[in-house]
Amino acid sequence: MSFELFSNLVGAFFTLCIFSFLYKDNPFYQMAEQLLVGISLGYGLVMTFNRIFIPYVYQPIVLKHQFLLIFPALLGILYLFRFSKKLSWLSRYPIAFSMIGVGSGVPMGIHASILVQMRQAMVPLETLNLALIFIGTIAVLLYFFFSKAHSGVYGKFVNVGKWYMMIGFGASFGLTVMARISLLIGRIQFLVNDVLGLLK
Amino acid sequence: MNIFERMQALDRRYIYIVVALAIIIPLMIPYNSDNNTTPPTENLYQMIDSFSGREDRAILMSIRHDASTMAELYPMEVAVLRHCFERNVKVFMLTDLPSAAPIIDYVINTVKEEYPDIKSGVDYCNFGYKPQLFAMVIGMGDNIINTMNTDAEGRKLENLPIMNNINNYTEMNLVVEFSGSVAGATWFTYARPKFGLNVAVGVTAVMAADLYPYLQSGQLIGMLSGLKGAAEYEKLVDIFAAYREAHIDYRLKKDSEGNKIIGGRPFSREILADESTKKLINITKQTKAEFTQTEYEAFVSKYPDRLQVFNSIKSEADGKIILDLSERERLQNELGFFAFDDLERMSRDIKYKFKVARIGMNAQSVAHIMIIVFIILGNIGYFIQKARAEKK
Repeated sequence: MSFELFSNLVGAFFTLCIFSFLYKDNPFYQMAEQLLVGISLGYGLVMTFNRIFIPYVYQPIVLKHQFLLIFPALLGILYLFRFSKKLSWLSRYPIAFSMIGVGSGVPMGIHASILVQMRQAMVPLETLNLALIFIGTIAVLLYFFFSKAHSGVYGKFVNVGKWYMMIGFGASFGLTVMARISLLIGRIQFLVNDVLGLLK
Repeated sequence: MNIFERMQALDRRYIYIVVALAIIIPLMIPYNSDNNTTPPTENLYQMIDSFSGREDRAILMSIRHDASTMAELYPMEVAVLRHCFERNVKVFMLTDLPSAAPIIDYVINTVKEEYPDIKSGVDYCNFGYKPQLFAMVIGMGDNIINTMNTDAEGRKLENLPIMNNINNYTEMNLVVEFSGSVAGATWFTYARPKFGLNVAVGVTAVMAADLYPYLQSGQLIGMLSGLKGAAEYEKLVDIFAAYREAHIDYRLKKDSEGNKIIGGRPFSREILADESTKKLINITKQTKAEFTQTEYEAFVSKYPDRLQVFNSIKSEADGKIILDLSERERLQNELGFFAFDDLERMSRDIKYKFKVARIGMNAQSVAHIMIIVFIILGNIGYFIQKARAEKK
């Protein structure tokens, strides 16, 4: 038996174990679930050790003598003090250091997610799409403006914003169904093609 | 108990069985269906295609997902990489997730086995896993070699031929990020405003709704959303990038005038709308290559020493010359890799791995119809029950 066939059979067995939950909870499903958690943790640990610790800590410091890297490595180790009740405060230092990312992220995030989006809502309304986007943006923003009661003409206009959101939720639901069905299709393609070799 | 009341009380396991059958049957019995391509997919395709054959342009594929979202993202990655290999586009690959590094290798190996001429370090380069994506994104804007240093195999980038004429985002002007969460955010937040980098994404369908605003505002130049996006891209690759003319010898790198010979043809809406392209996207097995007399003569003249093999599988029907590829193994042995590959392309048969998303979309369509029917019936049943309860 080749390794590929063996690994496919193992994959098929555990796929069916997980699918068996659709009938009812059972020991096969529970075994597969526990194994998934354990293997994911083990895989993550080995992966992190091989692909992060060895090439970015061990090799540069021990083999290439780049001793300056000891300082960031020590800073990273401080994270582990979260497990100590007395010394857990030390773990705040690497967290504080990583806040540099937040400092640069806030202005750039505002630029990409707010300013550019606002600029695009301020273009001439030359097409129906642009007009719909403009109305939708204003109506939805006003819907979340709670200092004025949603009544009268104003109430009717902000109700348009609610309908826009409803359509958005519908689109999200449709896309979610599509994504979940795609995952099922992927598994069934694996069972039918990779394991049974029935698709050409 | 009427039918609607029965449906309200239906055991959910019956619904699972129906959904499973709705997926399994279309997968087992594939049929040729069409996926209309959408502008976000076409824009990405055209952008990548505009780099075709250029030494001073490259794309970067950033893979940021693990095995859990492979069903949707892996076919996209295969399709984009295949496009690059077909059209001679330099391609780099990168990840900042340790668990995505094996996926990059898997994608490369899957596509590369069909392209024996494609070489690592020459046509593509895998940077592999690199931590601190933020630093990488900013650093590559100044100099890629100084930021990345080595590829996944530990080779110095400055020694790799692919790096000729590639310095920073001026040349590596497009990044396509594949992710199951917020794709492309680091790139369009930091690299686009500062360096003018073009950003596109391939995302799971569930994330697509979150990214449409960035597409609309022009911060993303294209987007592949879910299996549908992958199926659309597969189709474009088959119609344009993987298209082959019978008379051109693609083994030659340059023509008599010294121009590069690149496989495929440029994107065109006229070709896309043309009915004749339907035979290029059949997902059912194709075993016959069809030629006009002129095309056949031009085709066999490329392989004069294999003429006898071609004649042995030749027949004529409706004024066309048909070559039958049913005896696949014999032909592979007798024709050799290049001649057989050329002939197989003329049959317009598509390998399974290059049509995975389209086969999946057939099942997807049937499953969607089933779910819509369930929702409508469930709602009708609910409102009838509610009306009766109010009457009582």
